[in-house]
Amino acid sequence: MLSLPITGTGAVASIGHDPAEIFANLCAGHGGRSALRGFDAGRFGAQHLFEIDDRPAPGIDEPGRATRFLLDAVAQAATDAGLGEDLSRIPIVVGTGLRELRSAELWWRDGTPFDADRLAFGPALRERFGALDTWTMSNACSASLYALACGADLIELGLAEVVVVAGVDVVTESMFGLSDRVQRQPPGHVLPFDARRRGTILGEGAAAVVLRREARPGDRVHGRLRGVGVNCDAHHATAPDLAGVTGAIRQAHDRAGVTPDEIDLIIAHGTGTPLNDRAEASATAEVFGVAAGRPLITGIKSLTGHTSGSAGVLSLVVALRALAEGVVPPIANLTEPLAEGAGLRLAMGAVVPHHGVTAQVNGFGFGGVNAVAVVGAA
Amino acid sequence: MTGVTGTVLGYGLAVPGARTAADLLTMSVGEHPAVDPAALIGRKGLRYKDRATQLALCAAGDALTDAGLTGGEDGTGVPGDDIAVVVSSNLGNVDTVCRVTSEIAAGGSVAISAMDIPNASSNVTAAEVAIRYGLRGPNLTFCNGGTSGLDAIYWALVLLATGRAQRALVIGVEPDNAQTRALTGHDRILDGAAAVVLGRPGAGGRARVSLPVRAPDTASCAAQLDAHGTPGVWFPPERSTMVGPLVFDLWSAHGAASGAAGVMQCVAALGWLETARPGPVYAMVSGAEASAAVAVAR
Repeated sequence: MLSLPITGTGAVASIGHDPAEIFANLCAGHGGRSALRGFDAGRFGAQHLFEIDDRPAPGIDEPGRATRFLLDAVAQAATDAGLGEDLSRIPIVVGTGLRELRSAELWWRDGTPFDADRLAFGPALRERFGALDTWTMSNACSASLYALACGADLIELGLAEVVVVAGVDVVTESMFGLSDRVQRQPPGHVLPFDARRRGTILGEGAAAVVLRREARPGDRVHGRLRGVGVNCDAHHATAPDLAGVTGAIRQAHDRAGVTPDEIDLIIAHGTGTPLNDRAEASATAEVFGVAAGRPLITGIKSLTGHTSGSAGVLSLVVALRALAEGVVPPIANLTEPLAEGAGLRLAMGAVVPHHGVTAQVNGFGFGGVNAVAVVGAA
Repeated sequence: MTGVTGTVLGYGLAVPGARTAADLLTMSVGEHPAVDPAALIGRKGLRYKDRATQLALCAAGDALTDAGLTGGEDGTGVPGDDIAVVVSSNLGNVDTVCRVTSEIAAGGSVAISAMDIPNASSNVTAAEVAIRYGLRGPNLTFCNGGTSGLDAIYWALVLLATGRAQRALVIGVEPDNAQTRALTGHDRILDGAAAVVLGRPGAGGRARVSLPVRAPDTASCAAQLDAHGTPGVWFPPERSTMVGPLVFDLWSAHGAASGAAGVMQCVAALGWLETARPGPVYAMVSGAEASAAVAVAR
């Protein structure tokens, strides 16, 4: 069975500049929600996002931010893994929902210079790290876990010994506007798995991990990737399908060689939308059966926002820290669990001491693209 | 060389002026009528789909039929669960993203249509192909610049080799519109789609395809194909300066093919080999950061 050491992690989000800061803020219940930083608030009903605060001035947006966050997360992970900044021989698989489309929007609307080649991250990864085997995969909100499956496959097939897997997204105005268009009552806060949930709020982030076939002496092993399941609902453009979601979870368990009663912790996709959370809770109950009350279930989006393509690997980085530190941050804002969550062990209230060894991380995206990873403690 | 290879089981085209693989080798330079998706696959299900998705649905349907797969459970014994979809497109949803941004600038979020939501996500084409044809295997969208079409072939072969899928439908597609022309600086974009169905080696089929290689420049990329023998022909990248008796320029008859280029080359290679011309066919695509190349042989 697959057991690939994860020897480096990196992340940036609205609540922190690295995995340690992000995890500390999740445990402290500090969220990154703030008034709109880059968009004209008068054009939207919703007035909040979980943006990374790096713009030159309030209300002034600039191109290239997704690329910047990606390079930051990859550099962190590579440094952590002892790879340095020369990644010329190391494949990098990048999952993203919206690539550099925000830059294209600024180019189209304002005439801000932008080169079409920069929609993908390959040119910037080559400039910064000398990387050559780079792939920008646009797979909606499960993109980075899909990228994780691809990265693991390269090692399994003997096509690589070391792989960097990353995810990144910033908020595009088109996606924010369309989300605003259909959430006529802005959700205000993200309430994953809460009966009162009304929708999601987008966020920004990037995350990266380094996978190896074998750890080298001196490597710090954060955890082990046991398996990733990927599939597609082939059902609806935006709504999840129970059969697809359960299928992806079962596939992940099969690939990892675990049974549901061996999963100790689940980092849920948990977007706070009525449809996702209902489907995810129902799918969990169905797959886990009599063991449904066993794994502790948490999620990060009430504090990070829905960071789209980066969400999966960001959640994975959080899972590794939770397993390593023996504490799990709760689902912030959750006080009234949804009906479908009856019988599930949703983490509520305070940080939960937890001594599990195996975690499951979920990612589900528009178009029914599902990806589920299983990781083990170091 | 790795042991990871595949076989081409079928193809489909939705390209102006070309219905068959051989057409790609003989078509004349100049204007050809635009592809009319409604005429090819009917109007049903096309409403609100962006142009790239409509073109991809056409090419995908033809490729699946050509490969003996009609999606879902069928007589071939390959269930939809075991068929992957891998799409390559750099410009696919740029039109929607730009248009919606303009509409927000003009009238705020109340002025835009919820029907654009799926098209705001760059994986819309792969998702809609999966939905229409019942393909529930891995579903990947590569937006990886000029090499993207051969990158999609690469990852399709990886999915087959790891057993994540028994068949992979690979589609390259780019739409021609005001936004994609302005963004790329090209006066014409392909406005078409090409598709191939790949299977594992030994699954029969029309031709064998190697695992694409990548390199920082065209020369070192070409050198990596040496193990496949002397080529019968080279299909060069777009806007290439490659010349010589073995070089066949596919691109003069088309607008910029970008993410569709690598998949179109694979289809053209079938046309080349099936008209009894010498193989193997070597094909190369180039992006800003790297070139990729593949060998297609009988």
